Amino acid sequence: MEGKTHRKRGELAVVAVFVVLGFLLALQLKSVRLYGSPTDATSAARLETLQELYNQATEERDKLQEQLDETQKELEDFRSAAATGDENAALKTEVDHLSMLAGLTDVEGPGVMVVMTDSTAENTTGDEADYLIHDSDLLTMLNELRDAGAEALSLNGQRVLTTSEVRCAGSVVLINGQRVSAPFVIYAIGDPATLYNALTMRNGVVDVLRQWKINVSVTMSDKLLIEKYTGVIPSEHLSPATQAEGEGAG
Amino acid sequence: MMLLDLLGLVIGLAIGWLCPWTVPAGWSVYVATGLLAAFDSALGGVRARLKGQFALGIFLSGTVGNAVIAVLLAWLGAQMGIPLYLAAVVVFGTRMFQNFAEIRRELLTSGAKSAKINQDMDSRPAGGDK
Repeated sequence: MEGKTHRKRGELAVVAVFVVLGFLLALQLKSVRLYGSPTDATSAARLETLQELYNQATEERDKLQEQLDETQKELEDFRSAAATGDENAALKTEVDHLSMLAGLTDVEGPGVMVVMTDSTAENTTGDEADYLIHDSDLLTMLNELRDAGAEALSLNGQRVLTTSEVRCAGSVVLINGQRVSAPFVIYAIGDPATLYNALTMRNGVVDVLRQWKINVSVTMSDKLLIEKYTGVIPSEHLSPATQAEGEGAG
Repeated sequence: MMLLDLLGLVIGLAIGWLCPWTVPAGWSVYVATGLLAAFDSALGGVRARLKGQFALGIFLSGTVGNAVIAVLLAWLGAQMGIPLYLAAVVVFGTRMFQNFAEIRRELLTSGAKSAKINQDMDSRPAGGDK
């Protein structure tokens, strides 16, 4: 009798170990399928770490952005509060006007929208770079728009400031420190007809780009909205000149 | 007896497959070595039972102890920068083969014994050889 219960308990133990074995086996198989074999574990772990770091950085950025928005709003409130009395009201108007010009407020008005996509032409020169939009193309475009009297510009949603760079960074273009990539969309507020004609004139920017079959569409619009620049404009080395006529003048 | 073990294995597989967890990449090696230890123990248990040498205390202590040492070795190896878990892999691998060989022999010889008896019983009245 005692031997029988003993046997039963033994049997139970072995079966239990088999259950555990099956459980572990299934878990491991599932995980290996997901992450690759254990020998790749280091690279998978590395990937996980990097992903985590990336998530952290993104989160931090979002938080800082929120903080910045809040602070800007506060500043706006202070300015409004300070703008009591005639003189202060005039100052407030001046500040508003200047920050609009500087790119610190959302602006709207008539203008043109330019959409540029990489060339669809067959590669006959053997150089892929010939068929892509470069920072220089974008700069030419922006320059032409400015020449035609554009008062506010944006590239892929980034306000073009006096300090904005448009620079090649691998396969993307940097503007205001942000990466943007094709298709490039430029908004320009100004006289729509003038802007349109300046771009599409014979041998103009659009004409030249179209020779490479780079797709450029220019559309006139009655109302465009260009968003403000949300970052901080650096002024580390800058201060108003103290002398009426600086040494570098002239 | 073996059928119950297989059933247990299938149940374990089903639970593991259906449960939502996965092993984090960094823990993969530990689970793998623990897995080998469990596999070795399970085979050892089957063998001992077939041979009639089964003792619950020895079986359980071996199962838990081997798994702990295997995982410990893997961890130590990771700390020292040498793949020490290979020691567990080699040891349990060899033992698994040994266990399997003994199980095989046990099953085959016991099968042969009963076959011999049956043969003797059959051959008396009919004279056939089957």
